[in-house]
Amino acid sequence: MGNITKFHLIELGLWATIAVVFFAYSFEFNQTIEIYKFGATGWPRAILAMLVVVMIGNIFYQKAHGSAVQPGRVGIADDDLTETKKPLSAILNIIAFVALPLGYAWSLKPIGFYAATPVFTFLVILLLGERRVRWLIGITFLIYVLLIGLFMVFLNAPLPQGTVSPFYDFSAFMLRMNTQLQHMF
Amino acid sequence: MIDNFLHGTNALFSDPFTVLIFVLGVFGGMLFGAIPGVSMLTLAAILLPFTASLDPAQGVMLFAVIYCTGTYGGAITAILFNIPGAPENAPTAFDGYPMTKQGKAGKAVGAAVLCSAVGGTASALIMMAATEPLAQWAIRNIGPPEIFALVFFGLAVASSVGGNTIWKGWLSVIFGLLIATIGQDPVGGINRYNFGTTDLAAGIAFVPSILGFFAVSEIFVQAERRAFGKYTAPKLSVDFPSIAELWMHKIAVLRSILVGFFCGILPGIGATLAAFMGYGEAVRWSKNKESFGKGNLEGVISSETANNAATGAAMIPLLALGLPGGALTAMMVAVFQFHDMEPGPLVFYNSPDLIWVVFAAMFYANLSILLIGFVETKTILHLLKIPFHFLAPMILLLASIGSYIGRGLVLDVIVMFVAGLAGFLLRRSGYSIPGIVLGLILGKIGEQNFAQGMQMVHYDLVAYMSRPICFILIVAGALTLGTSVYRALTANRASAGSSAGQG
Repeated sequence: MGNITKFHLIELGLWATIAVVFFAYSFEFNQTIEIYKFGATGWPRAILAMLVVVMIGNIFYQKAHGSAVQPGRVGIADDDLTETKKPLSAILNIIAFVALPLGYAWSLKPIGFYAATPVFTFLVILLLGERRVRWLIGITFLIYVLLIGLFMVFLNAPLPQGTVSPFYDFSAFMLRMNTQLQHMF
Repeated sequence: MIDNFLHGTNALFSDPFTVLIFVLGVFGGMLFGAIPGVSMLTLAAILLPFTASLDPAQGVMLFAVIYCTGTYGGAITAILFNIPGAPENAPTAFDGYPMTKQGKAGKAVGAAVLCSAVGGTASALIMMAATEPLAQWAIRNIGPPEIFALVFFGLAVASSVGGNTIWKGWLSVIFGLLIATIGQDPVGGINRYNFGTTDLAAGIAFVPSILGFFAVSEIFVQAERRAFGKYTAPKLSVDFPSIAELWMHKIAVLRSILVGFFCGILPGIGATLAAFMGYGEAVRWSKNKESFGKGNLEGVISSETANNAATGAAMIPLLALGLPGGALTAMMVAVFQFHDMEPGPLVFYNSPDLIWVVFAAMFYANLSILLIGFVETKTILHLLKIPFHFLAPMILLLASIGSYIGRGLVLDVIVMFVAGLAGFLLRRSGYSIPGIVLGLILGKIGEQNFAQGMQMVHYDLVAYMSRPICFILIVAGALTLGTSVYRALTANRASAGSSAGQG
């Protein structure tokens, strides 16, 4: 097995899964195009073939050198976290931090930007370690006002309004206020 | 040419409203380019409907100015936060961000200001002098086979920078190419990989993916470092580079102007490939290759000169052939269409005033980067003083708005955060985010031009390779690839040998 670790095998498995899934799905659109010999599947399958070749090259490299950075590479990310002690609370914090934006994105359709944003902002600042209540509320308010001022009042950009009451009503209220403000000038 | 230029200058500065639009474009492009999480594309998407009420010359000029100053503005976030404002600023982050961590942010940003202005101004001058002959040359000599060959060369260069190994560099590029296959195929319009949903029929939108891979993943990386107690705030410095320091890199500037202009002139390629190739060539010709990626000023200079040199050149295929070179120039086509006009050779004959107002505005916009850039930069550098836990939600929210505004779809915000998560995990595993993004950008262009090229030569590879530009670019790409694989093998043998010797 050389220098191959469990992580390398998981990595290989993920790439192989992507290759298999994309290859299997390519039969769904395996149609000929009269004017083009290679059809709709030619290009994706050529990419998948390259993926398999490079995947094999990668695992052979890892067998010989493990996770070592190849000498002379340019623009690589520095990773000084490998040797760092990782307490469970910090790992849970990261999982929550990564999951939070996904939850925010899912909530935009039913709840809308105007209602979801302050809650999201507050939670992000909280997860990043701010515990002073005044700062939490003050910065949340400041960011909200800045965004609303720039995108709603100044640029009139359309933002998600939500579909569920009372969030939708709140969005409608914000937009009414904006219209009245615009009429004042 | 000088008469036309003076006429354009007069038209630009004689009308106060046109001057106002010019000034707003200059500041708006710089500001949106320099705010982490949004980009010049966000501003352009917001302003697009408003251009319908403007004079056509004012509308096109506004977008051209935003293009010039926004390309520069994106370098600031790349250098200060490792979040490129646009894909064309990605190679700038390779050396710019390490410089910030070393307390040399001022030097990196100062070099970006000067080189963006030099590259952009040189490009604007060449564009004014030679749009028509260059367009004629491009029509005669550049076809789909050449564009595909350049895409191949560009991807070979991209795979050799970023990523812990050549294999991970290529896996990153291939991953980007694979994402680009989602949506309709560019020849027959057949739906591919929509996994049973109609939302994916239009493909993965470009702006949310970029924001996710660059901005969101960087926030996740920094949040992780903070959670594990490894976060260090970037150091503030406002020391600009000296003239002597910049003069040392004059050859790199000249080379990047040529590379940038050549890439910009080719339809569909734009400034992104220019920046990667400018950076790649700087590494190739350097005697001190190992210093790249660790805070070498020449990396910032090459990338920023090349991407701004592409801005003027990108107007040539747009105005002379009606072919946009990137996302922002594609929006300019929409500005023309709002006014029942089509960009193309006839614009030069039907609307010469419009052309010369745009050319003059681009020239002055590039000069204003130099004038305003240094003043603005000192203010923007103070963004580094904002604590990360206050800056992060702002960036995430700006990126969400930037993603949503393009098509008005919440799906795009979801795509952005998923791309951010994928980018975070891939970066932690040593993959190259710029490689993925370049694969994503060039995938569709590559496929379309490969298909058209193959049809042109009747699937005859000998005929394909007998086209001189095509041959040179394919061979250059293969050599780049071969050299990087050879270097990988020999470098690893050498390092294995030295570690055995030490043991």
